Parts: sequence; C-alpha cells; structure tokens
Amino acid sequence: MPPSTAEMLFNSLTFIVFFIVVLALHNAPLPWHAKKVNLLIASYIFYAAWSPPFVVVLWISTAIDWFVAKRLYVTEGIGKRRTLLWISMAANLGLLGYFKYGGFLVENFAIAAGAYGITYSPPTWNIVLPVGISFYTFQTMAYSLDVYFRRAKPAKSFLDFALFVTFFPQLVAGPIVRPVDLIPQFATPRTATPRQLGWGLMLMVLGLFQKIVLADGFLAPVADKVFGAKEMLHPLDAWLGTLAFSGQIFFDFAGYTTTAIGCALALGFSIPDNFRAPYAAIGFSDFWNRWHISLSSWLRDYLYIPLGGNRKGPVRTYINLMTTMLLGGLWHGAAWTFVVWGGLHGFYLCAERWLKPRLGHLAVWGTVGGKIALALLTYFLVNLTWVFFRAQDFSTARRMITSMLLIDGSGKPVLTMWFVISAAAVIAVMLITHWRLRHQTLHEEVQRWPALAVGTAWGAMLWLIVTTQGGGNAFIYFQF
Amino acid sequence: MLSSTSSFRPSDAPPTYQRELPAINLGRTWAIAALLFVIGFVLWELKWRTFGVEPSYRNSDGAWATQRRRIDQGEGHKTVLIGSSRVLFDVQLPIWQRVFGERPIQLALEGTSPIFALEDLADDPKFTGRLLIGITPPLFFSGFDRREKAVKTWRNETLAQRSGQWLSMLLLEPFFSFYDEDYALMTVLKRQEWWPVRPGVFLFKDVRRLAAQDADRNTRLWQKLETDLEYQALAKSIWRQLFAPPPGVTPEMARQNAEKQLERAVAAVAKLKARGVPVMFLRPPSTGEFLEAENKGFPRERTWNVLLERTGAPGIHFEDYPELQGLRLPEWSHLSAADAEIFTERLCRILEREHGWSAKSSTP
Repeated sequence: MPPSTAEMLFNSLTFIVFFIVVLALHNAPLPWHAKKVNLLIASYIFYAAWSPPFVVVLWISTAIDWFVAKRLYVTEGIGKRRTLLWISMAANLGLLGYFKYGGFLVENFAIAAGAYGITYSPPTWNIVLPVGISFYTFQTMAYSLDVYFRRAKPAKSFLDFALFVTFFPQLVAGPIVRPVDLIPQFATPRTATPRQLGWGLMLMVLGLFQKIVLADGFLAPVADKVFGAKEMLHPLDAWLGTLAFSGQIFFDFAGYTTTAIGCALALGFSIPDNFRAPYAAIGFSDFWNRWHISLSSWLRDYLYIPLGGNRKGPVRTYINLMTTMLLGGLWHGAAWTFVVWGGLHGFYLCAERWLKPRLGHLAVWGTVGGKIALALLTYFLVNLTWVFFRAQDFSTARRMITSMLLIDGSGKPVLTMWFVISAAAVIAVMLITHWRLRHQTLHEEVQRWPALAVGTAWGAMLWLIVTTQGGGNAFIYFQF
Repeated sequence: MLSSTSSFRPSDAPPTYQRELPAINLGRTWAIAALLFVIGFVLWELKWRTFGVEPSYRNSDGAWATQRRRIDQGEGHKTVLIGSSRVLFDVQLPIWQRVFGERPIQLALEGTSPIFALEDLADDPKFTGRLLIGITPPLFFSGFDRREKAVKTWRNETLAQRSGQWLSMLLLEPFFSFYDEDYALMTVLKRQEWWPVRPGVFLFKDVRRLAAQDADRNTRLWQKLETDLEYQALAKSIWRQLFAPPPGVTPEMARQNAEKQLERAVAAVAKLKARGVPVMFLRPPSTGEFLEAENKGFPRERTWNVLLERTGAPGIHFEDYPELQGLRLPEWSHLSAADAEIFTERLCRILEREHGWSAKSSTP
C-alpha cells in the first residue's frame, strides 16, 4: 500500500496560509462557540485537502464513540456494557483492519493456503490508507474505554468531542492526546497570550527545522542511498545509513509533534510532549518513556495493563510485554518487518526485566561512565531494530545486519565523503543534545541562555529552513 | 472521583494540562531572530543574483500538471509538445504562436524519455489536437523515465498540492532567484569541491541549472551557458559522464530495450492516428562530442529511421534540413536562447510547407 504524500503538510506554503487565516479567525472578536466551530471546520478542511471523501471515515469514528460513550455511562448491566464497548472496538478496529491490514491479511492467507497446497489468488487490494487513521481511531477508542472502565464521564458537548478527535495540529500524526488533556481546554474561551504565541511560533520553527533541514536535508538522502542499495555494503556505510535513519525518523516525527505542539500553543491550547530525548535512554523501559510517549502510554494503559501487566506472575508478564510490543510493531504498518521490529523491542524489554534484579545492583551503573555505556548500548540495540523498520524487505535487512555486525566486511562503499561527514556530524550533535536534555525540558534549557543566543539560534534555524527549501516531503508517520 | 471529561491518567498530572513557557524575553528573542534571518536571507538572494541567476518558474511536476490540465479544461484541440529538454528549450512558444496563431501546450520534460507522456495522451480522448514528439535518442530509446511522476501528480493531485503549486507560482517563483532546486543549501554543500574523494565511491556530477522557465513552461537556455565559459565547460564535462553506456547494460540488453520502446511508441501512435491526431516526430540539433556519442550509441538507421517506418508517422530530422543546422549550441545539446527562436521559426515553416500544419488545422 503506497503511503500518501499529498496531505496539507506543515512544511508547505498552503499550510502557512491556512494557519494565518485560522490564527486570525481565532483572535477575531467572535463568541467562543463560533471560534470552536471555526476550528472544527478548519480541521475538516485540513483533512479534506488530502482527500475529501475520507472525512466520512473521520465522522464515523467520531459519531460511534460519541454515542457509545453516552450509552455506556448510563447503562448498568455488564452484558449490555460489553456489547456497547464491542461496537466501538469493532467499528474502530474494523476501519483500521479494512484500510490498513486488509491487503496484508489477504496476502498472507494466500501464502498460508499455498503452503498447504491450496491455490488461492486474492483480488488486488488497492485500498488507499486514510491519513492518520491509526492516530484518531486510538484517540476515540481511549475515550470509550475510559468510560467503560468507569474512569471518566463522557464529554458534555458534541462540538468539544468532535474538535478533540479532529483538532488539526495533532490529527494526522499525533500525539495521541488523551481526552483529559484536551477536552477541558475547549470548555472555556482561550486564545494564546503573547508569550504563548511567541513560544508556540518558536516551537513551530524548531519543528520545521528538525523536519526540513535535519531529517529531509541532511539524513534522508544518506538513509535512502544505503537502504536503496542492492548489494552488500561496507560496514561503515551500513552503520551510517542506519544511524542516519535513526536520526531521520526522530527528527521527522519529533519535528511533526513539535510543530503540532507549537501550532496548538499559538492558538492557546496545550498538547503534551511526545518525545523526551529518547536517544539518551538508559535501557528500554526508559526508552519507551521517552519515544512516542503518547503511543507507548496508550499501549500500556489500554493493552498491557488490561492483559494483566506484571500482576500475574513472571511468565505472564513476559508474554504480556511481547504481545504489547508485537501489536505495537504492527500498529506502525502491515508488514512482517514491523512485527520483527516490535518483537525485538519486546525481547529487549523482557531481557532488561530479567537482567535488572541480577545485575542492576552493580555499582558501575551508577557512575557517569557506566550510564553513558548503558545509553550507548541502548542506542546500539535500538539501531538494530531500525534496520527492520526501514528495510523494504528481509533480504535488505539481512544484508544490512550482516554488514553492521561485521559478519561480512567485503561490501562496497556507496556514500560520498559529504554524506559520511554530514551524517556523522548531525548524529553526534543529536546524541550530545539528547544527553544534555536527559533530565530537563527544552524550555528549561532555553531559559538558561541569553536572549541574544536564543535569537541567533532561532534566526539561524529560520534561515536554514528557507535556504534548504525542502521538497514538501510527507512526514514518515503519516503512513501509519 | 471521575474526571469531568474522560480518561484515566497514570501520572499525577493536573486535570487540565498547561504547557510551561520559558522565562525569557520572547519579544527581544524574536526581534533578534527576525533581524538575523532578514540579513541572511538578503545576502543569500544577493549571492545568487551575483552569480547570474534571475527568478524563474520551477520545472516541477506541479507546473507540468497545471499545463496537462489544460487539455481537460477545453484546450484538447491544441498542439501539444512532448519530448525531452531539447524540445523544451529549443521550441519557443511565442514564435510558434506568431506563426500559427496558437500557443502550444508545452509538456516536454528534461532528462527523461517522453514515452509515458505519449502513452498518456494516446489514452486520453480529450486530446484531439496535434502532437510534436521530440526525440533525444539516448533518452527515447533507453526508456529512461526519470520524470514519469509528473503524470502521476497530474492524475492524483490533491487540493493541498494544487494550492501549494498555485501559491508557489504566485508568491515565490517570480521573485526569488535562490528558490531553485539547484541552489538548495544541501545541494550547494554537496557539490563543493573541497570534500575529499572517498576511494571506491563513484562520484556522478549532477546536471546543473541549464534553463529559465516562464509560467506556461516556455523555456530557454540560461544565458550563463553562453557567456560563462567555465560554466559551459562544466556542463560539457557533465554530459561526458553520460556518453558511456550505464554499467551492467550489454549491447543486447540495450537493443532489447530499444525494441521495447519502439513497440510502445508504435502502439501509442496507432491510437492517436485512429483518433485523427496528427503526430510529428522531431530530432532537434545536437553537436560536438554529444552528437558523436549519440551517433555511436544510437545510430540513425537503427533508431530514428526505424521509428518513422514502424509508426508510419512523419518526422523532421535536423540533419535533413540545412536551415536547421549551423545554429549555436553552447553545451552541445541545446540551442542558445536567440537561436532557439530562429530554429522555432524555421521549424514552423517546414511544418507549414511540407506537412500542411497551419493555424486552421488545429481548431476542433
């Protein structure tokens, strides 16, 4: 299924004009209700700019969870409540299954049937994946699940709920915002204070810099060159390509969410962080508390814990961890390479859980050197998983791993010196920055700097964004 | 106690999340950032103006799609030009318009075989005009389709893409010299000669900016190719990289590939003829080492002559017309802007004289 690359991207002229209009309307002297209607219409326009018919899918998901949650709240019988919950799950997962996994299931069914000597030629599954469906279906499911588990009341206003599902800054690639974080913000009038507007716009610049300059400008060409090679690569090239991808996917996704957070803040709304210096993580529990936080916490709260979490003995804990991470892998895309990616992360989490009581007490882990060594080991292991995430097939992944682990060092170099130096420099700066931000947030770091330094940094980022130009490339996570 | 609007959160966060802001003077910060950005921006633009660049419309897929859409919007009876960069640079639309009273739709794309565009037009019943197909032998007979995505863009272009293209052509392209993919920062950095050569890595020099384009894709060779001998030499050195066959392609593979392209062309031209669309092939001039390489790799008797014979369509080869020879091609492959006008005028006269093309014959 080809990823769509034709949405209204944050890194596009259309979005700049769109956002200026939205910002102007939001600050116009209009009643709060009218401003919310404006935001809702703008969000639908934002989505429809890619493909108008798929707004209907968004409506279906919104309407079902709105009605299910309302009924769930007033229904007492466990049977009826379960039926209502199943309606929400079936609708959301049904949409996801049809659009995202239909082709994958049919294709694998044909392969499995072939293994038993049954010839089955499936019809061509030429269904376009609605942008952001994995994000908004998870957001609406969380709403119904909370009401089912009696953790929350349903929202009082359909407009607020619809805006929560559709709010354009985070609609197509998250963060997967929890209702409690956003819906209350729609209850009372709000526009950005001058400081919120100023910082929101600065975050947007930072996000676009991450996407346009670092992800697309510096790193994507290196990763594309290496993962696109058909022959065995020199170990340096295989490593640099993988490291470049580790940076590309971080700057691409973190760039999107930083822009989304800035965009919302410029309108007066607060969206939580989705990344916290993930490549400074020490171990994999730490990594998943820092990487795509809104998804990992969703999986923890709505899958891992309901499965029993760590409350049913060690064996069940390991099974629950593996199940959660395998499904987390599959969430990213309908391909076995994503399943392997999730499986490796599950294995790492299990291994860490097993090793911690046995080796965790050693004094060396408390030293700076020990922490840096563990962080580098974590980053090394994360990079092995990125190979499966990025490789278009298993033969490419096998070639890459073989070269990276020096099992075969006879491969060809493909990267020019510009690619080698630029990618290595960006990755080094990224790792140092993550280490520095390991225990603090961006705004805490920024407020230590004088205004001249901050202004110079942001002026330079703006200049780099404009001079890099950018090809209007889609964000990687749009395809998930 | 339940929260008012749903959701359990494992952390002890407050009910309504509020993002923290840095305790700095944001107004002063923005003023410094804006000032530095403006200074840097102006210097960057000046650098490219000094280099000889003038604002030009980008030869993007979106620009191609905009022209292609004209056929859907009632201009399907007009003359359409497809081909590679030679038809794009050498055929000047204002001259054609002066002769025939009709400005053609320019759909040629640089560095690519036009076969996909030919097939696209052959399958489109809305196209009923005349078709001029430029032939650059190494591209046409190799089937090298670097710009095929343009057709996909036209077919699948979303509202977001169309508005982006429109805004770019309205607000940026006519005003800024630096806004050209050749001057994107990473491209500029990558092309610097100070980078050491890594042993074992083949370094292919990208084709540099060669032309300037108008809003309707009328395109002419960039004057710098005529006046700056160093830049001209660079362009020639880039062409030289292309003269050897690509690694791994045997003569037999090349022959089979050429045969495949011929079959595609024959099928497409048959469809157009069945619809009454006049088709004309054009082999624009080339010279110097480029022409030598073309004649060696794609000799006329095995390519051009076979194409005309098998499609049954007429063609104009520059070698057959003295008036199409002796023109100036600064980098061997494209006519200078002034000579492109002369070439177009003479081409139109040949079309008129020998093939009966006139303003009248293009009306529906």
